[in-house]
Amino acid sequence: MSKKILGLSVATLLSCSSLLSAKEIKIGAVMPMSGPLAAYGQVTDLGVKLAHKLQPKLKNGDTIKIVLLDNKGDKVETANATTRLISSDKVVAILGALTSSNTAQTIAIADKKEIPVIAAVATGDKLTAKREFANRVCFSNAFQGEVVANYAISKGYKTAVVVVDQAQVYSLGLAKAFQKKFKSKGGKILKKIKITSGDKDFKAVVSQIKQINPDFMFLPLYHPEASMIARQSKQLGLDKPMFSGDGVANQTFIDLGGNAVEGYMFTDFFDYSNPPSKTSADFVAFHTKETGEKEMNSFTALGADTYNVLIAAMNRCEDPTNSICINKEIKKTTNFDGVSGKITIDKDGNATRSAVIKEIKNGKAVFKAIVNP
Amino acid sequence: MDILTFMQQMVNGFSLGSMYALIAIGYTMVYGVLRLINFAHGDIMMVGAFLAYTFMAVFNLPFPLTVLLAVTLSAALGMLMDKIAYKPLREAPKISLLITAIGISFFLENAFTVFVGGVPRAFPVPSYMEQIFTVANVTFSVSSITVPLVTLILLLGILYVLYKTKYGMAIRALSFDIKTVNLMGIDANMIISLVFALGSALAAVGGIFWAVNYPSVEPMMGVLVGLKAFAAAVVGGIGSVTGAVLGGFIIGFTEVVVIAFFPEMGGYKDAFAFVFLILVLLFKPTGIMGEDLEKSRF
Repeated sequence: MSKKILGLSVATLLSCSSLLSAKEIKIGAVMPMSGPLAAYGQVTDLGVKLAHKLQPKLKNGDTIKIVLLDNKGDKVETANATTRLISSDKVVAILGALTSSNTAQTIAIADKKEIPVIAAVATGDKLTAKREFANRVCFSNAFQGEVVANYAISKGYKTAVVVVDQAQVYSLGLAKAFQKKFKSKGGKILKKIKITSGDKDFKAVVSQIKQINPDFMFLPLYHPEASMIARQSKQLGLDKPMFSGDGVANQTFIDLGGNAVEGYMFTDFFDYSNPPSKTSADFVAFHTKETGEKEMNSFTALGADTYNVLIAAMNRCEDPTNSICINKEIKKTTNFDGVSGKITIDKDGNATRSAVIKEIKNGKAVFKAIVNP
Repeated sequence: MDILTFMQQMVNGFSLGSMYALIAIGYTMVYGVLRLINFAHGDIMMVGAFLAYTFMAVFNLPFPLTVLLAVTLSAALGMLMDKIAYKPLREAPKISLLITAIGISFFLENAFTVFVGGVPRAFPVPSYMEQIFTVANVTFSVSSITVPLVTLILLLGILYVLYKTKYGMAIRALSFDIKTVNLMGIDANMIISLVFALGSALAAVGGIFWAVNYPSVEPMMGVLVGLKAFAAAVVGGIGSVTGAVLGGFIIGFTEVVVIAFFPEMGGYKDAFAFVFLILVLLFKPTGIMGEDLEKSRF
């Protein structure tokens, strides 16, 4: 009897205190902090952490706690981490899990439990299809392809050759989007050449392109193949504007390509040296203050934006722990003033946002233009 | 296609084919004496390239010295591989040897992944190898000339060793019957070591050329190249050194021609290389230069 009374009074106390003082809400994060993708995971997590430091509380005074789990870049680890976050940590939303294939695992599990997911950099086209609780702040591959097509047309390039890696969904998606847009704007695809990732010898491909003589080359490839094509093009005297997606947005590409990638262009999400707004500039400054580093990775900006978009959505909910409401509000995000630029998320969870075009000059990727959708 | 593009593609095919040829010689020689398809051979090529990378990028040695050191060390590695992995299995069934070879291959790939990581590294190509000159609108780089040239010289060298020296005679004798050769007072194990050393040295040369032409090195670089060189050896007639070189050129040209005539099919160029292998196996199982397996070697 006395136990019952004690239990009741404790319960009353607890419920009263929760009404009076703020409570702690948990948000999950799944990122590769070790393993082959660790470099990506760590910079993205840094963005989430910095954004949390700037805004640790909700409007109503509730504090946010981030529970970070390492997925080691592995699909099974990702699935386990997601399940743990939902069932034992009772998180209200999940940020992550970086690459498209890992994020698909997180989304598959979270969708069933009705927990919203916000992906930072997963660009796979079909990632959010038929998943009510899937969202992202980055653009999709289809959009990247269109950006490149628009750029090529605006420069007066009429004809193009596309080199597509038939073994990568990323490459196929990008190529398809580019071709569609380029054709619709009056451009002509002279040839589509298929390669397979792992190839090193592209001299035959390059000689072929030299004969076709296009105005523009679109290479929706990852850095190992793209760098080899650039090098061998230089060797064989093929000098045409070359353009890739974010698959080459890293230093390894420049290391492998050497001086052959001078003038090479690609799309990226963000450029720290050209912050698009005051929010963005402030964040870059805060990043410099906290880490001592001047350069900020674009993944850090997107990591911060997953957090910021989520907090904004939670603030708009009467009960910030109601996952269904949070998800609805995330999908109502319009013209959000993010670190990486203006973000609008549609009802399918896909972001409409600006892209950045960069060009390699003197062995450095430098900002060239911002492209709005 | 105009004649210039055709010529350009021929140059491309020659340069690619000779790299396959260099590696194929090693397959064919080891097969000749041991009847073993040494699947770790492609990884010796990778090791050769990595050694050269280390000497150049880390120790800053000049390119010719680098090549010499890398080739010597790779030859030693080939001999060591024979000593540790294949010698204890001389009397064992051939399938055990084959499985061991695959094991060694995985070991080398993974050991290098652990030590150097999976990210490809840029190979510091000496600038004179990258020089380009144009003859009647056909572009050559120095390397696309030197690679076939060196291959031909090395082929002649190997043929000389095989047919004009005492060791060559021993190698050829060994390919007929190891046991009898032992009775004749020849140290069969020493001769097998020599074959591994020669084959591995050529693979290292192939690997270094590969790294010069496609300047990135990574632990898995030998896998596909090794398979294609193996196909080249079979197409040419496994057991025949000249056949291996011919097979290398055939595979190299096939890849180039596929892209030149059917750019849309370019992604399947590897498949075309292996279709050649299947056709040869169907219609002339001994390969183009291979004669009756019981009669002739090399």
